[in-house]
Amino acid sequence: MKVRKWLALVVPIALVASACSSTSSTAAATKLTIAAVQGVEDAGLKALAPMYKQQKGVDIQIVEAPYDDLYSKLVNAFKANDSTYDLIMMDDPWMPKFGTDGSLSDLGSLGITQDPDVAQVVWDVGTWPPPRGPVPPSEKSKPKQLLGVTIVGNVEMFMYRNDLTATAPASYDDVLANAKAQNQPGSVAGYIIRGKATNPVVADFLPILWSQGGDVFDENWNVVLDNDASKAAIAFLINDLKGVAQTDPGSTDASDRDKIMANGQGLQSSVWPGEINTAVLDPAVTKVAGKVTFIPIPKGKSGKGVGMMGNWLLGVPKASKNQQAAADFIKWMLQKDTQMTYAKNNGIPSRTSVLKDPSLTAANPYFPVLADALQAPPNWRPRTDQWNAVETIIGTHLNKALTGGETADQAATGAATEIRTLMKGAGYPTQ
Amino acid sequence: MSAASADTLAAGGRIRTAWTARSRQERLVYKLLLPVLGTVVVLATIPFVLAVIQSLTSDTRGFVGLDNYARALSNPLLYESIKQTALYGAIALPVEILGGLGIALLVHRTVRSSGLRAAIYVAAMIPIVIPQIAVGVVFRLVFAPDYGILNVMLGLTGPSQPLWLSVPQLALVATAAVDIWQWTPFVYLVMFAGLQTVPSESVEAAQVDGATNLTLFRFIELPYLRPLILLVLFFRIADVIRVFDQVYVLTGGGPGTTTQYLSLYIYRIGFKFSDLGQASALAVVVMVSMTLFYTVVSRFLPADRR
Amino acid sequence: MRSRRWTPSRVATTLLLALIGLLFAFPLFYLVATSLKTKADLFAPVPSLWPPNPTLEPYYDVLVTRGFSELLVNSIVVGLGATALAICIAFAICYPITRLPAPRRLRGFVLSWSLSLRFLPPVAVVIPYFAIVRAIGLYNQLPALILVYTIFNLPLAIWMLRGFLDEIPLEIEEAALVDGASRWYAFRHIVLPLARTAILAVGIIVFAFDWAEFLFAFILTATPQAMTFPVGVQGLVTQFEIIWNDMAAGGVIAILIPLTLMLIARRHVMTGLTFGVIREK
Repeated sequence: MKVRKWLALVVPIALVASACSSTSSTAAATKLTIAAVQGVEDAGLKALAPMYKQQKGVDIQIVEAPYDDLYSKLVNAFKANDSTYDLIMMDDPWMPKFGTDGSLSDLGSLGITQDPDVAQVVWDVGTWPPPRGPVPPSEKSKPKQLLGVTIVGNVEMFMYRNDLTATAPASYDDVLANAKAQNQPGSVAGYIIRGKATNPVVADFLPILWSQGGDVFDENWNVVLDNDASKAAIAFLINDLKGVAQTDPGSTDASDRDKIMANGQGLQSSVWPGEINTAVLDPAVTKVAGKVTFIPIPKGKSGKGVGMMGNWLLGVPKASKNQQAAADFIKWMLQKDTQMTYAKNNGIPSRTSVLKDPSLTAANPYFPVLADALQAPPNWRPRTDQWNAVETIIGTHLNKALTGGETADQAATGAATEIRTLMKGAGYPTQ
Repeated sequence: MSAASADTLAAGGRIRTAWTARSRQERLVYKLLLPVLGTVVVLATIPFVLAVIQSLTSDTRGFVGLDNYARALSNPLLYESIKQTALYGAIALPVEILGGLGIALLVHRTVRSSGLRAAIYVAAMIPIVIPQIAVGVVFRLVFAPDYGILNVMLGLTGPSQPLWLSVPQLALVATAAVDIWQWTPFVYLVMFAGLQTVPSESVEAAQVDGATNLTLFRFIELPYLRPLILLVLFFRIADVIRVFDQVYVLTGGGPGTTTQYLSLYIYRIGFKFSDLGQASALAVVVMVSMTLFYTVVSRFLPADRR
Repeated sequence: MRSRRWTPSRVATTLLLALIGLLFAFPLFYLVATSLKTKADLFAPVPSLWPPNPTLEPYYDVLVTRGFSELLVNSIVVGLGATALAICIAFAICYPITRLPAPRRLRGFVLSWSLSLRFLPPVAVVIPYFAIVRAIGLYNQLPALILVYTIFNLPLAIWMLRGFLDEIPLEIEEAALVDGASRWYAFRHIVLPLARTAILAVGIIVFAFDWAEFLFAFILTATPQAMTFPVGVQGLVTQFEIIWNDMAAGGVIAILIPLTLMLIARRHVMTGLTFGVIREK
């Protein structure tokens, strides 16, 4: 009895003590900590980390977090000037905010040069302020610096069932026509819309918007989401495509869309290279092996098919204590032989020569398409530190329209108005 | 007993007179224990103070006074979010509290075996220990269209099936159902434990006098349960305001903004809109108004039985 | 012994309890079923109630391949530590409140302050806590989580413990004190055993909350050295993929550990839960 009572006192103390002692950290001088996004995107990175240790003797610790959580974590870390991370993975739309806040180091001054074997757009997307397109007013006077290097060369593409559609759709009109012809409610959806609220639906919609000649901002940060071309594009999504889409586009996210496609229940959809291997090309689950073709985004009324970039960049926080070592790692990642190994381990390389290498095409049929898409060049999301907010506004309205809460027109004008208020409040010369 | 215990027999009464003889000792012990309370209060309050400071500043412009508050309170989306959260709470809370209480009473009255009572008590803990995101994922598998098990079991498939995650009213019900499933057991745990503190003599005396179950509940058990009901009510309200992960995985705040409850809204302001000042202002407003609400309510429903 | 006749009302209540039990058990059942499915099963166009090809692969994946067993240990340490600390401090606060002539206003203050802690949306204090924890050098260490969890659990612990302690009559201690026992002796040998129910009830609930807590574990840790299980499991929902079966396996593991802990301590659980503590009024 007495022993038990003593245990009751001793055990919690021992637990707390063990917790304290287990936190003795070995502060090795040769160790780099990378904050990475959890999921298919960092698979290649994880495979490569042990190789770097072998070759250069530097330990790589990868700390993962899923998309939204990683963003929160990075925001917190930068705000507190935390030096825990030596390298960070960031989605390219996040970079403007980190660049505007001055949280990242200039990679050019750390010895990274712009290799021409990598498509120019990749270097451009990692540069702040952006070399093309509208520049936020507060950033205009800053010198251009390379703040991020692509580690996942994602460009949004298009996929369709080649057994149900003889020729590749060249334009969105073709897409719609094919969809109408093949759509059977309940068994085959003519077009799979990824319509879950905020980020998912916007990622799916922007290529359509751009291909049909619309846009969110113009060169001077004026909102053009409610001009005729944009409104037509939104109406195309909400009215035309929805009419031939799966049962519940409003709650469909990427994993749902891949599942539908892999089960042979969808005809066509847009797709990110990163998600292709999770289902559609996964031999364990796919029922459409060999029946899916990957092409660039079809043309729209603008006369062009505009793919959307979604590169994951590697950057070095200014607060890191291992600046040069971190930059050396990035250099190593860019080497051709590393990129080849990376590609063989589910990574998506950015070197054109690697993407076009015939030995990789069998396992990754979309690589050559990706290389061409990168050369096109694809469009990127507006380079503003307010992008997250803009995306949330657009995504909420699109989702509302997709679920019948408002019309396409209302979505366009509603979103445009809110974005104007937001940008003006943030100091942009928006009209 | 000692002659000093003159007031022994009031129901639930306290013997105060016997303590005064030891008052010096008591006061010493009291003084030793107050610092503990003080330290904890300080530790818990520092972050709150920092949050208040955060609410009075802005990232880019330093101290801005009540500007964040003004912007926070003038956004119509805030009120929509409050409305949706209130609807969500109005569906979930009554079911949870009345349900948990009812089940506790049922078990307390009808289950005699102490092994079974203990087993049920332990089982009730299960929904609370599952990480929120796992709960969200499982219920996504239940409610999703086409591959969700609910519609399949109900035999409703095809284009006309109920879209639990995309129709505003259904999404409200679906998210509330998740809340009810996860938290009714918690209410049960608290209520059941509370029922054990009811003196069995009083119960037996009342039963001998021919009290019905209803009378038994109203006059004997309820007084003991009232502080716990208040506790559970306010804890659940506080948690409804803070619900996040399950809803985020289930609907992402959609359709539109139908399930964008307060916590999702504040998260949106703080991280998507990068407006931590405004988010902190919102949080302070929420905390202050809820505390005021509680103070008012507890004046009418005292948490003490005294 | 009372005769156990199956009156209609008895049948009705039994059926009702069974129905309620079934309703609550179903999602749990589906959780277990999902955790035993293969990826191919999960992709089946029509979902099945039972796993067609049951496999323990997801469990292996969670514990070994992804290395979450380290996180599990962290969770256990933090959970038990924070629970013990919370109960101790709650006792330290509730005892004077219930036993000594504490001013009414102090009692009221403690209760409403402790409740107001819970009202604060975490997002506002995420950065302050992050900054404080870093400043005192406890970032990415388990003690930080134990401290933070204790603070957040105190409201509940204080409320519940107070209710239980109120019910322990003062005469009993009074008798011991009159007989010459010290206050500490009276506390340890008289109050504490009687409070076993309270400790158990509060302990279970507080541990359950700590066990599933995500936000602060996520904010205050950076590497698997200090991360807890919910943080690891969170990562199974990614941008492009939800790994259903692993997530379900994670959920099942998250249930089994606390259950196992209670199984180990079942003697205490049983005595603590055998309600009907001495009452002399």
